[in-house]
Amino acid sequence: MDALFFKASLAAYFLATAGYLVSIVARRVVMAKIATWVLGLAVALHAAHFLEMYAERGFNVAVNLFEAVSFFAWIVAGAYLAVQARTKTRVLGAIVAPFAVLLMMLASLGIEGTLAIPDALQGRLVPIHVTLSIIGEGLFALASLAGVMYCIQDRQIRRRRMGGLARYLPSLGDLDNINHMGLLWGFPLLTLGLIVGSVWAKTAWGGSNWAADPKTIWSFAVWCFYAFLLHQRLAIGWKGRKIAVLSIAALVVLISAFIGVNFLSSVHKFT
Amino acid sequence: MNVILVGMNHRTAPLELRERLSFSCGDGLRPLEELLKAPAVREALYLSTCNRVEVLARAEHMEEAIARVKSFILRHGNLDAAELEKCLYVYCGSDAVRHLFRVASSLDSMVMGEPQILGQVKEAYRDCVEQKASGIILNKLLHHAFRTAKRVRTETAIAGNAVSVSFAAVEMAKKILGSLEGRTVLLVGAGEMSELAARHLLANGAGRIIVANRTYARAVQVAEEIHGIPVGFELLEEKLQEADIVISSTGAAGYILTPAMVQGALRRRKNRLLFLIDIAVPRDVDPDVGRIDNVYLFNIDDLQGVVDENVRNRLREAEKAEGIIGEEVLKFAEWYNTLEVVPTIVSLREKAESILHAELERSGSWLRALGEEDRKNVEILATQIINKILHDPVTGLKEESQSNGAMPYVAAIRKLFRLAPEEPREEQAEGVDRSVEEEGKRVRG
Repeated sequence: MDALFFKASLAAYFLATAGYLVSIVARRVVMAKIATWVLGLAVALHAAHFLEMYAERGFNVAVNLFEAVSFFAWIVAGAYLAVQARTKTRVLGAIVAPFAVLLMMLASLGIEGTLAIPDALQGRLVPIHVTLSIIGEGLFALASLAGVMYCIQDRQIRRRRMGGLARYLPSLGDLDNINHMGLLWGFPLLTLGLIVGSVWAKTAWGGSNWAADPKTIWSFAVWCFYAFLLHQRLAIGWKGRKIAVLSIAALVVLISAFIGVNFLSSVHKFT
Repeated sequence: MNVILVGMNHRTAPLELRERLSFSCGDGLRPLEELLKAPAVREALYLSTCNRVEVLARAEHMEEAIARVKSFILRHGNLDAAELEKCLYVYCGSDAVRHLFRVASSLDSMVMGEPQILGQVKEAYRDCVEQKASGIILNKLLHHAFRTAKRVRTETAIAGNAVSVSFAAVEMAKKILGSLEGRTVLLVGAGEMSELAARHLLANGAGRIIVANRTYARAVQVAEEIHGIPVGFELLEEKLQEADIVISSTGAAGYILTPAMVQGALRRRKNRLLFLIDIAVPRDVDPDVGRIDNVYLFNIDDLQGVVDENVRNRLREAEKAEGIIGEEVLKFAEWYNTLEVVPTIVSLREKAESILHAELERSGSWLRALGEEDRKNVEILATQIINKILHDPVTGLKEESQSNGAMPYVAAIRKLFRLAPEEPREEQAEGVDRSVEEEGKRVRG
């Protein structure tokens, strides 16, 4: 696979990021709107890449860490585009696009790797487990990125710096809504993904649903963290800054679970 | 350019003077009719708003027209000449064009960037057209002014942000809450500024307004004016729970809203964001309330700070706007300059075309012998030859017109091609005006 679509989408993600950066420097939302269109192009090209993969080997979005990271980036960017179409928070892309670029750069290190599907991933439930989990985590990541911007905007407003940046950034209400939506949709998907994984683990390895492997533990920790956030949001009524700050912390855990721990794991080690 | 602009505005003349002038002209008098009586004034536009009185005219003789317009203002303002001279400004040629563009773009307004002025200029132009006081120059000039104003509005942020405290409150509410659709506003106490802010919030989508006042009768009175719901002060805590935006402006000596009250309300409203505006002096809201998470407290100084920042921003944008206006003035001057050569170009083309038609007619007999397609080809060939021959002289004339040196060439072409002498422009019929206009477009294109 020469991964042409992958490379093209990487370039488009770069371009979108550059557009957002220019829009921050010039404080012009128009520029961010253009960048959002470019980001849309990147997501479309990236989707073409997945279709190409699908044509080659069927439904199996991620057979190694790099592909998983690439899919993760696609979900975050795609979910953002869907959300901004409703909330008109174009400027949030200024965080989402660089985040996607970083992930894509990481993914590009290994995206041209082997096509052979490891034995450990031959099970039919595995692609479902992987897909659902990554979509769930992608939505969580988006919720957290909205939290990052919330904290910046909150700081600007509280310090009465209403001139430049605050005028340009989205409203607190919209950012809080995105955080809410991300948590709300991410949670059932990740839950389902983990359940499928656990069911498969039992059939594949027999006996236990639970292999005490770092990736599994970390993923469960991520799930717990976000479950806690969602619970506080829905039941206790936490909103705004408190949730935003915690979302950022949750993102750190999520990233370590997603990428870092892979190198320690045995059953989830695919690289 | 034979365009003049004489007028006074809020900077040059006191209100009393502007008042006198606009009243005397408003009373059924038709300023345009009077202005056009002078032979020196060929087209005129009369603009009168509360901040300015201006006359824009195309003059046959500049000096005479200026004197005429001045005496018109003198008569209607009941002023003595010395007093008037101090207040009036007079612009000629491209300076007049620039001034008009600046006025229409709201750069010359008291509150820079306010949108009303463009409507007022359009209104003045409508009067002008209705009274047939406009001709080709003023029509073009005014449309160009509208286009320039539009460019300034879209390409700069000159009208972008609030420059009054009540608008700043709306802007802040949007930055904090996002959409104001269906939000609840709570007015604590009443005052002109808080009512104004409430009206702006309603206009921006806020759903309902609750008016709380120490005296219930007063609450009812204010609520009626702004379609709100009146409540007594005893319900304040309860209503605080429902409100998204609170505007407080009582005359109370102490704090009306304490951290404990707000914290309690916030808990009951599940921490939904709360925007508090305290425009009372002395303050109504304990400053510590601003430290609570999800509560954003702005006092009058904070809002004024937002306004000041926005004003500075508008000034920065104004510089960009001046650049746009400079470009547009040049474009208009270019159009104006081609005007003196356009009738000649039109005549030249007409002559060439009439020759073409006459010759095709004469050769009709043998042309008919050709097939349909060949006949077309011959016509196309002949037309192309004409166009190629005319291309250089037309471009040349246009170029010369930009350096004001076209007149000898115009005379030469008219003489050599035996074109009819140029008619005075104002007696040309509408239709000719249009063809001049189109030719102008083609020449510039």
